[in-house]
Amino acid sequence: MNEILTQEKSIYLQISEMIESDILRDIILEEEKVPSTNELAKLYSINPATAAKGINILVDKGTLYKKRGIGMFVSKGAKEEIRERKKKEFSEYFVKKMLTEAKSLGITKEELIAMIREGNEL
Amino acid sequence: MSELVCKGICKKYKEKEVIKNIDLTLESGKIYGLIGRNGAGKTTLLSLLSSQNPVSGGEITYNGQNIWENKEALKHICFSRELNPTSNNGVGTLKIKDYLKTASIYLPGWDSAMAERLVSEFELDVKQRMGKISKGMLSMVTIIVALASKAEYTFLDEPVSGLDVVMREYFYKILLEEYAESGRTFLISTHIIEEAASVFEEVIMIKKGELLLKENAEELVSRAFHVSGKAEEVDAATEGLLKHQVENHGRSKGLTVLLEPGQQIREGYDIKIQSLNLQNVFVALCGIGEK
Repeated sequence: MNEILTQEKSIYLQISEMIESDILRDIILEEEKVPSTNELAKLYSINPATAAKGINILVDKGTLYKKRGIGMFVSKGAKEEIRERKKKEFSEYFVKKMLTEAKSLGITKEELIAMIREGNEL
Repeated sequence: MSELVCKGICKKYKEKEVIKNIDLTLESGKIYGLIGRNGAGKTTLLSLLSSQNPVSGGEITYNGQNIWENKEALKHICFSRELNPTSNNGVGTLKIKDYLKTASIYLPGWDSAMAERLVSEFELDVKQRMGKISKGMLSMVTIIVALASKAEYTFLDEPVSGLDVVMREYFYKILLEEYAESGRTFLISTHIIEEAASVFEEVIMIKKGELLLKENAEELVSRAFHVSGKAEEVDAATEGLLKHQVENHGRSKGLTVLLEPGQQIREGYDIKIQSLNLQNVFVALCGIGEK
């Protein structure tokens, strides 16, 4: 919740990703209330509509749900769901990107596996 | 290679100490950025450096010669002050052309061709009176004086204040052109930090009259990091480091560290580490609540 916003990505995406990573890191627990749109707006000096857009992405995904008149809460099972989704994104995004880069550098499959093993030991 | 050196300079206005024991060396051929909050002493420092204002203590020298009332040394220094149409020094009643003419008399290196070229590029009407033109146009006049002075050490006090974004970008462009051509030294104060960050070679930060740091701009930015995550993890990863702008929100915590040589953020913690820009660094060091 205390990250700084960058210029590289849309703010609403950064807001939703920040909440997701806070759930993964147990900074916000399941069934706990997330900061309101206005709190987020104040915290990051952003327009409340932008903050709401970030929150709504997570509502659509089922990560957050609304308790009428009280606020937004983290759904039960949200942490596991985010972890699964991130894993999938990891293989689709990071791994694919790594393989492309490795290919352009002429790194063989064996070399790449050895590098990952080595990295893992650190 | 010339240099302008301040040794232990102080400035008091009655009881109020606005510049406190500053040691500073400006080397020739660099563009320096002077940043500090409102009232930090930027304008006072520039006025001392150009001998427009006497120091209360300490000494400023140009190549070893004290600059105070030193005509030879002051030939090499120009401070183009920020102008104010309502200031009571009579500037408001002058026409732009008369103001520039006055500047040309006082500044021995005056380049009138350059002044004329800038007047037409800025589309200024020189017949207008200084008291009647906009803040942005006044800034343009101060820029013209600074650049056309051709002084080896040129100080600009908030040259971009009041300028629109197009003119601000244009100013930095002509500044860099002049710098590339002449190798003059520029010391520029600004509050619009990020726009100027890539222009500055070194940054001079002052805070409440004291010199906070003078450092290569890129090196400064490269050792500043924002750390965030779960409070315990952030605390563990940054243990022993000097922390700035610490913010808590529930279990989450965010803070900024400026790593000294040999220091590092500890590995193995589930935290997010983000690099900063010059403006972030400035806010971290001089923001509200920083002692």
